[in-house]
Amino acid sequence: MPPDTVQLRRYASLAAKSRDEMIAPGGAVRPHWTPLMRRLAAMPGGEVERRFASARQYLSEAGVFHQVYGEESEQSHDWPLGHPALIIDRAEWTALSAGLVQRARFLEALLTDLYGERRVVAEGVLPGVLVGRNPEFLRPVADQARLGIPLLSFIAVDLGRGPDGRWWVLGDRTQAPSGAGFALENRVATSKAFPDLSRALNVERLAGFFRNFREMLFALGGPERSRIGLLTSGPHNETYYEHAYLARYLGLLLLEGGDLIVHGDRAEVRTVDGFQPIRVLWRRLDADFCDPLELFGASRIGTPGLCRAVRSGALSLVNALGSGILETPALLAFQKALAKALIGEELKLPTIATWWCGDEAVRRYVAENAGRLQLGPAFPATMAAAGDETSAQRRSEPQAMPATAREGVAFVGQEIAALSTTPVFGASGLEPRPVTLRAFLMRDEEGWHVMPGGFARVADSRDARVISMQRGGGSIDVWIPSDQPIKPISLIGPRGDRFARRLPGALPARAADNLFWLGRYAERCEGATRLTRLHAARTTEGWAAGELEARLAVILKDYGVDIDPGRPKRGLLALARQAADTASRIRERFSPDAWRTLNEIVSLVLDAIAEDDQATVELTSAILTQLSGFAGLAHENMYQFTGWRFMQCGRALERGQATAAVISSLIAGEAPVGALEAVLTFTDSSVTYRRRYSVDLSEETVVDLAVLDPLNPRSLAFQVNRLAEVTSALPGVHLGETPDLLIRRLARLRVRLQTADAVEVDSAFLDRVVGDLSLISDLLTQRYLLSSPRARAEWLGGPE
Amino acid sequence: MRYAVRLRITYDYPAAVTDARHLLRIRPRRETDQFVRNVAVSIAPRPEEQRGETDFFGNPVDAIAFFAPQTELAIDMRADVSVERPAARLSETPEIERILAETCAVRSLDAGSPLHHLGPSPRISGFAPLSDWVAETFETAKRPAGEAVMALARRIREEFAYRPGSTVVGTSVAEIFAERRGVCQDFSHLMIAGLRARGMAARYVSGFLRTDPPKGQPRLEGADAMHAWIEAWLGEDCGWVGFDPTNGIAAGDDHIVVAVGRDYEDAQPIAGTFVTSGSQETRHFVDVVPVA
Repeated sequence: MPPDTVQLRRYASLAAKSRDEMIAPGGAVRPHWTPLMRRLAAMPGGEVERRFASARQYLSEAGVFHQVYGEESEQSHDWPLGHPALIIDRAEWTALSAGLVQRARFLEALLTDLYGERRVVAEGVLPGVLVGRNPEFLRPVADQARLGIPLLSFIAVDLGRGPDGRWWVLGDRTQAPSGAGFALENRVATSKAFPDLSRALNVERLAGFFRNFREMLFALGGPERSRIGLLTSGPHNETYYEHAYLARYLGLLLLEGGDLIVHGDRAEVRTVDGFQPIRVLWRRLDADFCDPLELFGASRIGTPGLCRAVRSGALSLVNALGSGILETPALLAFQKALAKALIGEELKLPTIATWWCGDEAVRRYVAENAGRLQLGPAFPATMAAAGDETSAQRRSEPQAMPATAREGVAFVGQEIAALSTTPVFGASGLEPRPVTLRAFLMRDEEGWHVMPGGFARVADSRDARVISMQRGGGSIDVWIPSDQPIKPISLIGPRGDRFARRLPGALPARAADNLFWLGRYAERCEGATRLTRLHAARTTEGWAAGELEARLAVILKDYGVDIDPGRPKRGLLALARQAADTASRIRERFSPDAWRTLNEIVSLVLDAIAEDDQATVELTSAILTQLSGFAGLAHENMYQFTGWRFMQCGRALERGQATAAVISSLIAGEAPVGALEAVLTFTDSSVTYRRRYSVDLSEETVVDLAVLDPLNPRSLAFQVNRLAEVTSALPGVHLGETPDLLIRRLARLRVRLQTADAVEVDSAFLDRVVGDLSLISDLLTQRYLLSSPRARAEWLGGPE
Repeated sequence: MRYAVRLRITYDYPAAVTDARHLLRIRPRRETDQFVRNVAVSIAPRPEEQRGETDFFGNPVDAIAFFAPQTELAIDMRADVSVERPAARLSETPEIERILAETCAVRSLDAGSPLHHLGPSPRISGFAPLSDWVAETFETAKRPAGEAVMALARRIREEFAYRPGSTVVGTSVAEIFAERRGVCQDFSHLMIAGLRARGMAARYVSGFLRTDPPKGQPRLEGADAMHAWIEAWLGEDCGWVGFDPTNGIAAGDDHIVVAVGRDYEDAQPIAGTFVTSGSQETRHFVDVVPVA
């Protein structure tokens, strides 16, 4: 419903209780909101809803989601984008930007001092205990500022507008600030919904900021413009989607700790083409997880030796390890003096008033004003300290007032932030919601630059104190309107460079590993589904359970599928999840449609389980339809390079092994009645058979079609041929050089299938092929992929 | 006292391990009361990388790496060390409030600063029952703080049982406190947690103990392997003073300091990671013999 005058009046009365972004005291719409409101009001009935729906559609198709912790299996949720955008007046933004740039300069100077001379402590400006006891003061890199590499290059500042109308700093995000990618997605979605509006209002674009940031990252890497990585904590992180999205958008390698190895002082990426050096990482992984050797011995997701690469100057991290120390709440209590000492200026942006309870007089003041002030931790929370009592206290509110200054060292008192409200469309039209704004800054050789916009979060109710996506809040776009039309910018390469088509760089081994297993798991899911359908169809057709059913049950058991009535769905669910989970680990290399197809299979089976639907035949048919959709997308839409080849390898290996193993079990010894039909059904070759051969089934012809016929895409020979073709194009395989064991074994198997006669194909023959394929899989894994599936990172046991 | 020190640590890996990176803190520290000559470290198989470094707290570190598969690792360290550690005059140490005031006034964050050792660290966190337990010892606050710390070390010796094998590396201070048993590393963590709860700076020490006692004296616990004890910061004049809660004594000429840190995590003799699909078995041998 467009906001007409009646609605605006209703909104104005709702918003009168606090400072509002749109409504001025007195009830009038502020001038910078008028163009938007006028245009919304002019839209015909139903139009606004249609626009929202198109934004939602975009986000869902793009696969934007966020993880919510604490629910069963960390569910992914739709991205909660609200409308309209938060609009900030141009002149006000200019002033705010100046304050933000000054703040960034201050934070950078402070970080450089803390990891260098530590003058602020020596001169008594900052109590030393705030550094010495700080979990984010990282001793292995305590002197890193002396290398002269910038320690801070990309930060975020959380802001809220106080009752006085000024923007107040609520906190700094310097460790691994999230939200920039979501801001970008919010912008794309909002522009899809209201293209006319963002143009008419001359909304400043975000692409220029990201282009400069990318240029800065490449400049850090030195003249050879080597590849840049984005270091992520992996798919279980709540902002993994954003990591994948930004990596794709900026053309960075998405890397997990295990993708990197340190040789000497150099960090290198494990790729399918050997180790490749990397000099710059945009770090989105908390520092304590980065190096299990020197930072947090229990980290399973880090890179042993990363600290030494940093200390030697061979690896630059954006931001530096230990930059999280700037997020220490107690620093806010000293920042006036710190700013004076470090940059010789008064800070332009006010900060939420903070008192450090490590001083007895201050502690008493906080205790006396307990109602007005909120007690919180003085130090940043780290995962490394998650087991100790203090962080347990951090999680459970409220906290007990420390009785002495000694205990007070770990606490601050902070004024409770009163937030302004901004209009968001809810069920009954526009509603005022408390809003916070996360602004982003990046630094290049010229200095700090503010992203023209930001990531605004709104609470889900009118008087929420805490705004959190985890608790059901939402986010909205941020618009800075300009007086002049905005020139379009997009993220094209460095200005002046000529375009040349290049092949992608070497594929990280982990990505190859995941693609390989995705190929295997999708195929495994298909094999199990086909067998389940075969079994269910025979039962439905009224066949009495006999020898064939017994053999099928044994084969299915190997797949983890129990054929007792009602049970197969559980097994199929596990297989579908395995495929979907693997796909979710490589979303940045994958079409969202293909990813969604796999997730829909999981939903299909879950629905069937929930409804206690016994119709296994229908369910399995529906799964097979989805899987063929997935296979089609993977074949038709994926760039057919190294990654695709590993997926094909996985698929061909799995299908080849399954075909050989299933046929072997079905025809072993005295083949039961129906076994040959079952072979044809499992290999999906019944139609072909009927066209090529007589109606009567003979073991020889069935085996020939299902095992040896190189033109049947379901035959064993076809899988082996495909495998041989695909592996011949893998890195390091050159015609004319002595082939390695992998290529030799594959060639031998290929010849064996080419020259075999259908009469010699019996169970023993097929079992040998299964063994050959499993050896080939091991050889492929050893040569290109991470390691054997059972290998894991382990710690050396210490002497007791 | 002059010693010939020998340490040997071996690992067997039934399944080969790859991509191993280790940090060794096994060389005795060079300190004013501890003179170190002829340190020799030999490692088999020969590491693909080996570097001698010094960490933040001034501990000598050997950083080694093996990338190719290996099925065993043997580390051998020999050193000639003289220790002349005059017994601290605990009765002349300041009272606790003065030490706390001096601690707060420290403006240095260098390797020896007490400021690193006041709060929770990776393996140590305080909890209320322990604070109360320590407060009993410190109740008579006017007495010299060094004597109170000594009393605490003795109390741990008396009230806790030395039981090798009863705890693991990850056993928390709270568990040790509840179970009333452990090994030198556990007692050191417990004592550090207690002192920090009282506001004092306390750090972890890893090192060696003389293997056989002088005639007529009992053999000390912890002499068969690397040992651990603690140091408390007793003000600007006294600095760091060593106490051995496992034996209920002050650290003296029988104690050879190898590494110091906030807790075991900073000072562990051998830390590292590797990739494997199997298990590991380790053996550990120490010999500290007086020489003429």
